[in-house]
Amino acid sequence: MSLEGLSGGRDDDQVLVAEYALGLLEGGERAAVARRIAADPAMAADLRLWRTRLATLDVQFAEVAAPTGVLQQVEWRLFGAAPAPGGWWNSLALWRGLTAAAAAVAIIAIGVNLLQPRVDPKVLANQLVAAIQSQAGSGVEFVALYDEGSGEVRITSLKGAAVPDKDYELWYIKGEQPAVSMGVIPVDQRMEIPLDPAARANIAPGTVFAVTLEQKGGSPTGKAQGPIVAVGTATPI
Amino acid sequence: MAKFARMNSAAPPHIADLIARTALRDRSAFRDLYARTSAKLFGVTLRILKDRSEAEEALQEVYVKIWQRADRYVAGGYSPISWLVAVARNHALDVLRARKPVSDDIDLVLDLADGSPDPEQATIDSTERKRIDGCLDELESDKADCVRGAYLDGFSYEELATRHNVPLNTMRTWLRRSLLKLRECLSA
Repeated sequence: MSLEGLSGGRDDDQVLVAEYALGLLEGGERAAVARRIAADPAMAADLRLWRTRLATLDVQFAEVAAPTGVLQQVEWRLFGAAPAPGGWWNSLALWRGLTAAAAAVAIIAIGVNLLQPRVDPKVLANQLVAAIQSQAGSGVEFVALYDEGSGEVRITSLKGAAVPDKDYELWYIKGEQPAVSMGVIPVDQRMEIPLDPAARANIAPGTVFAVTLEQKGGSPTGKAQGPIVAVGTATPI
Repeated sequence: MAKFARMNSAAPPHIADLIARTALRDRSAFRDLYARTSAKLFGVTLRILKDRSEAEEALQEVYVKIWQRADRYVAGGYSPISWLVAVARNHALDVLRARKPVSDDIDLVLDLADGSPDPEQATIDSTERKRIDGCLDELESDKADCVRGAYLDGFSYEELATRHNVPLNTMRTWLRRSLLKLRECLSA
């Protein structure tokens, strides 16, 4: 049996390979041709020819900036736990790899810290720092310094601007637990946040700090609703 | 040629290197690869699917596949960006065609059937581009449009027939003859 309009034999095979390469075959026919190509070196060589030649048309696919958040979705799927409702917080995939950056900022933070009047070496030994770094191009960065002695988190804005009708909200995430709010934070000043005993017990090396952009006054539900604009992992100084 | 090599060495990490490191499960290389190529691949899924949210979903699937299959690039014959475009294009076509993806196993077999990597791919690409454009120019312009439409927009025979206002069988005959002519020109 020959294809319509053709003499049959070798021409048929060549056309089938071209149709396969172009994506003109569907379903069962496509699968059948794929199996034939896999079994026939001449057809496989032909497919290579078509693919490399057709690929030179690829320049005609115009670049379009990908929507934000796609990479995060991919990383959650590949490296993190499956996101439960509101539970993408539970995935630690996002925050991995930030430890080095946190350590770099820790050095700066120690420098800053030495300028503070109440610092002594014993206090330093019980502090954690997190470089809360910009996500998805938000340009928002903070440093969080947690002092076990005072039970306070000192949050300092490094970069970023206020957004009209929105507030930034700081969260901590311990292991697989849902994110817990530490309140709304300003972008233009340093702020000390006293933590309750439950929160104090949860802040430890590896605890993740995240900042989201929420409605004015912060998320009304106690669960993060806005996008993550910055994240970082707590590291001992 | 020497000039070309120098330009290459000054460039940021080559996409082929990023794919190779991705195959070694280097997550930061994978992130770099995404940063370098996602606009191109989103361009591919968007052009074929013509729907932003479907194209976004497809893009996600495409990068999951790229992570899972990066090791196969090493055995493949495509230039690095062509390989990535092919992954994106094939996935978009699968989504487009009645949402019944062909078994991945078949594509894998064909990936492995590809030739060896070609270090001179970049220069070959530019001469080949001239050649396919030249060969398409030898076809009547509406038939060349059909080939481009099938490749770049993922048009099926049915869509091509409708767009060119000819019966389906006429379109099949047209295009099959054109493909034979094209192949003859390409392999000359």
